[in-house]
Amino acid sequence: MDLDPKFEKLIKKQAAYKSDNLGLNLLISRLQKNYSANQSREELGKCLDEMRAFFKKYNSILGRDIEALGKL
Amino acid sequence: MFVNLEEASRLIHEGRILHIAADEYLLEQLPKGKWIAGTTPYFITEHGGTVCKDRLFVNDITDAVDYKTVVYDKNSILNITEDAYSNGITFLIMPYASDVAVVYAKEAPNLSNLYINPIVGWISGYDLSADSTAKVYDGVSGESYYNKAVALHVCLPDDQMVSLGIVNIFDTDENDTKIEFAEDALSVEKCLVDGKETLLADYILQNQINTQLPLIADYNSVLINVSIKTVSEHNKTVDLYAPVFAGKEYRFSRPVSNYAARFKEHLQGLEDIKPIFSCNCILNYLYGELEGKATPPFTGPVTFGEIAYQLLNQTLVYAEIIRK
Repeated sequence: MDLDPKFEKLIKKQAAYKSDNLGLNLLISRLQKNYSANQSREELGKCLDEMRAFFKKYNSILGRDIEALGKL
Repeated sequence: MFVNLEEASRLIHEGRILHIAADEYLLEQLPKGKWIAGTTPYFITEHGGTVCKDRLFVNDITDAVDYKTVVYDKNSILNITEDAYSNGITFLIMPYASDVAVVYAKEAPNLSNLYINPIVGWISGYDLSADSTAKVYDGVSGESYYNKAVALHVCLPDDQMVSLGIVNIFDTDENDTKIEFAEDALSVEKCLVDGKETLLADYILQNQINTQLPLIADYNSVLINVSIKTVSEHNKTVDLYAPVFAGKEYRFSRPVSNYAARFKEHLQGLEDIKPIFSCNCILNYLYGELEGKATPPFTGPVTFGEIAYQLLNQTLVYAEIIRK
């Protein structure tokens, strides 16, 4: 599943998602803050890279999050 | 496990990889080995909170396949995520009131890879009834430090990973007064109170706010506390135990009448967790009178600050290993 469009919505605060995973929530909060301060394509790219890296590493324990994000 | 000096020394001689918390007097007597430690005489054991200077709280990281200890100063602490194993956990201990702790508190939330390589830990302290200094220890070298941080980077097997969690008994009323800050700071003068520039010290004093209650910001549903250290009416400053950050909205916590009962409430549903590490805040211990009160399944040192990725206040922090 391509989650990039969902990540982009989250980063731009066009959608809200609250996880049970502490690290994911803190990451979303940081990326929203970073993008809010610098709404450039470059910053968005950086934010997306961080989200992709997090989901790549924790893919095996984020099943519920991936399913829920797919419905955003 | 809460053990005596002989038992802790035996574990070290057996080559176990250990995280240790204890009074300085005991830590000074430990043999060199695969461990790091920090000072505190306060603990929450399975029997409840206690002040103890003849036992050590030891976490045996038996699942580790490799480890390294690294000592950081204020100039190198932000390299910590680069030193971490690609699959593992980093235990970090920093002395209370040290420069390295200040740098980490302010800058860690901006570290790249912070959420990829989990960091858990605490701020070491001392007996508040005695004049002492917070220290950390690198068991590999046997050295202790009052101005440097020590980390135990642990590598886990491929079929395991670490998950961090927190228990925060405080919460806010969304309709309550909103407080914002212009810059990241550990000591504050001005702030915006519902959009109006105000001296925070005046606001606290005029509104008789209970400073045992933290300021709280919402990080995508995770409530992060900032505890008040001192309020100076004379200097018009408010000193904090963790920084406030620009761009976040803060509110003072709603009152908590019974800390132990509130913990019991928040710990429901967490009974099956088998933490490899946990710690709780000295302010919860003192304000909540947790002596003799347990917080199952969580036991560990009572600390002068908690770390779950970033520095936290008045929070119970834990780490658990999850099978992939």
